[in-house]
Amino acid sequence: MIDVMQHLPILLVAIPILMAAVMIMLRSHPKLQNILNVTVSIVLLLMSIQLLFHVWDNGIQVYEVGEWGKYGILLVADLLGSSMVLLSSGISLMALIYSLDYIQEHSLSSTYHSLFNLMIAGLNGTFLTGDLFNMFVFFEILLLSSCALVVSQGKGGHTKTSDKMEATFKYLILNMIGSIVMLIAVASLYATLGTLNMADIAVKISALSQSGTLPWHLFMIAPLFIIVFGNKAAIFPMHYWLPDVHPSAPSPISAMLSGVMIKVGVYGVLRVCFLIFPDALFLLKPMIIFLALATIIVGAISAIGQNDVKRLLAYSSISQVGYIFLGIGMGTALTITASLVYLVNHAIAKSMLFLTSGSIIHHAGTRDMTKMGGMIQSAPLMSSAFLIGAMSISGLPPMGGFIAKFMLFDAGILDQYYIPVAIALLFAVLTLFYMFRAWLRMFWGEERDFVEHGEYRAQNTSLYVSIPIILLAAAVIALGLYAEPLIVLSQAITDQLLDPQPYIDAVLTRGVR
Amino acid sequence: MNSVLLSITISILFGIGTFLILRRDIIKVIIGLSILSHAVNLLIASTGIFDGDKVPIITGSHESAVASGTIFTDDVVNGVMSPVVSVMTGTHYVDPLVQALVLTAIVISLAITAFILILAYRIHEEYKTTDLNEMKRLRG
Repeated sequence: MIDVMQHLPILLVAIPILMAAVMIMLRSHPKLQNILNVTVSIVLLLMSIQLLFHVWDNGIQVYEVGEWGKYGILLVADLLGSSMVLLSSGISLMALIYSLDYIQEHSLSSTYHSLFNLMIAGLNGTFLTGDLFNMFVFFEILLLSSCALVVSQGKGGHTKTSDKMEATFKYLILNMIGSIVMLIAVASLYATLGTLNMADIAVKISALSQSGTLPWHLFMIAPLFIIVFGNKAAIFPMHYWLPDVHPSAPSPISAMLSGVMIKVGVYGVLRVCFLIFPDALFLLKPMIIFLALATIIVGAISAIGQNDVKRLLAYSSISQVGYIFLGIGMGTALTITASLVYLVNHAIAKSMLFLTSGSIIHHAGTRDMTKMGGMIQSAPLMSSAFLIGAMSISGLPPMGGFIAKFMLFDAGILDQYYIPVAIALLFAVLTLFYMFRAWLRMFWGEERDFVEHGEYRAQNTSLYVSIPIILLAAAVIALGLYAEPLIVLSQAITDQLLDPQPYIDAVLTRGVR
Repeated sequence: MNSVLLSITISILFGIGTFLILRRDIIKVIIGLSILSHAVNLLIASTGIFDGDKVPIITGSHESAVASGTIFTDDVVNGVMSPVVSVMTGTHYVDPLVQALVLTAIVISLAITAFILILAYRIHEEYKTTDLNEMKRLRG
C-alpha cells in the first residue's frame, strides 16, 4: 500500500490542479460540478489537518519532486507552512460553499470552479514550497487565477463590470511589477550564492557572514523582498490597490483575498526574514515597524470616511495587516507568537465579515451604508454575524480578536517598544469606532425611506449562505473562549522560525540520485 | 556577469521599461511591462554565463559526474558556491539552470501579457478610451 501520509504535500498541490482541468470538462453538468468540488475541498481540508498533525508529531516533512535533492524542487511542510495550508483550506471550503448560491450560474459552471481550484493550488504551493523560484511560479498562478475570479459576476450584479476591470487592471499591473522585482531579487541571490533552495541559501549566507565576507548587496536584496511581499500584503506605500480590488470582487472571492491572499505576503516576510536573512534583521526590523505603523494609521483613518460597506472592510484589512506586521517587526518570540495568533483571528473574522457583507448587499440592494438602516428586524442572522465579526476585529472580549490584540500589546510592552505600542493602541480605538459605526448605520435606528430606495428583499437564509457564516462565527467565538491550542501552536511555529536549524537539517540531508 | 556591454544593455532596457509604464496610454504601459520582463530575463540569463564553452551534460549518475568534475560541489569555507565559481578554479561551463528559469519566466509573462491585453481591449470597450487618466471611477 502506498503511504499516503508521505505524499500529502504534493497531493495538496496536485489534486486542485487536476480538479481545475476536470471542472472545465464537466461544465455541462453544474450539479455534479458543485458536489464534486465541495467534496474535494472537504478532502483537502481533512488532508491538511492530517498534515498538520503529522508534522506536529514527526517533525518537518520534506517531499522531493524528482530525485534531485536540494537542486530540484522540494516541498517542505514545517509547522508554519502546514498551518497556513490548514487555514487556507478551511476558509476556501467556506467560501466555496457560499459561492454556490452567490455566483451567477453561468459564470459558476463555466470558469469559476476551475479558477477557484487553481487559486487553492497556488496558495498551497506557496505555503509548502522550499524553493524561491518555485514560490515565484506559484505566486503567478495565484495572481492570474485571482485576477480572473475578481472579474466574475455575483448574482444581482451590484458591482459594474467596468469597475471590476479597472480594479483588476490596477491589481495586475502592480503585482506584475512586484513579481519583476521578485525575479530581480531571486536572480541576484542566485548570482551570488548559486542556489535557489531556501535552506541552502540560509546555510551559505550564515557561512559567509561568519567568515566576514558577506557581500554588501545582500543588504539590498533583503528590502527587495520586503517590497515584493509587502505589495502582496498591501502594506503602506503599496496599499492603494487593495481598497479597489477587494470590494470589486464578488463576496466569496473578497473573503478569500482578504482572509488568505494578503496573508501570503505575511508568510513570505516571515520565511525570508527569519530563514534567509537573519543577518539583515537589524536593518529590516525598524523598516517593518515603521511601515506597519504607517499602514495602521492610513488604513484606520481611511476606513472612517467610507460609506461603502465592502470598501470599509477592505480599509480595515489594510489596518489589521499593519498590526500583524508590527508584531513581526518587533521580532522577538513573544511578538511573533502574538502576530501569528492575530493572523489566524483576522483571517477568520474578516472572511466571515466579507461573506456577511455579501448577503447584506443582496438584502439591501446597494453597497451604500447611507441607504441602509434598521435591518436588525429583517435580517437578524446577518446582523448578529456582523456584530460578532466587528467585535472580533475591534478586539472586544470574548472574541478571538481580543486575545490577539491583548497578546500583541502585552508582548510589545514586555519588549519595551513603548512608542509603537502606544500608536497602535490609539488606532485600535479608531478600529472600535469605525466597525461599530458601520454596524449602527446598517442595523440600528430607523429603517430606510422605502418610498425612495425601495423595500428590503427577503433575507436569504438558504443553507449554502448560512452554514459558512455560522461556522466561521462559531470559530471566531471559539478562538476567543478557548485560545490555548492556537497559542501553543503559534509558540511552536515561532520556535521553528527563530531557530531554523531543524528546517535546514531536514532539507539538506537529502541525497541526490 | 562578465560583460560590461551586456550590463549596460540590461540597464537601458530597465530604463525604457520604467519610462513606458509611467505613460498614460494603457498599451504603452503593457509594452513597458513586456520590456521590463525581458530585461529581467536577460538579467537572469546573464548570471549563468561564465567564461567558457563546454556544455554541461551529465552522463551517468550524480556520483560519477562529481568524480569527473562535471559537477562541482560546494566548498562554502573557501567561498565556492557551486555553480557560481571564480575564474581561478578554472571551470569552463555555462550554467544550464538559469536558462530553464528564463524559459519558465518567459512562459509566465506570455500568459500574463495575453490576459492583460484582453483586459485592455475590454477596458477600451467599456470606457471608449485608452487614457489611464480618464479611468477614475474607483478612488483607491
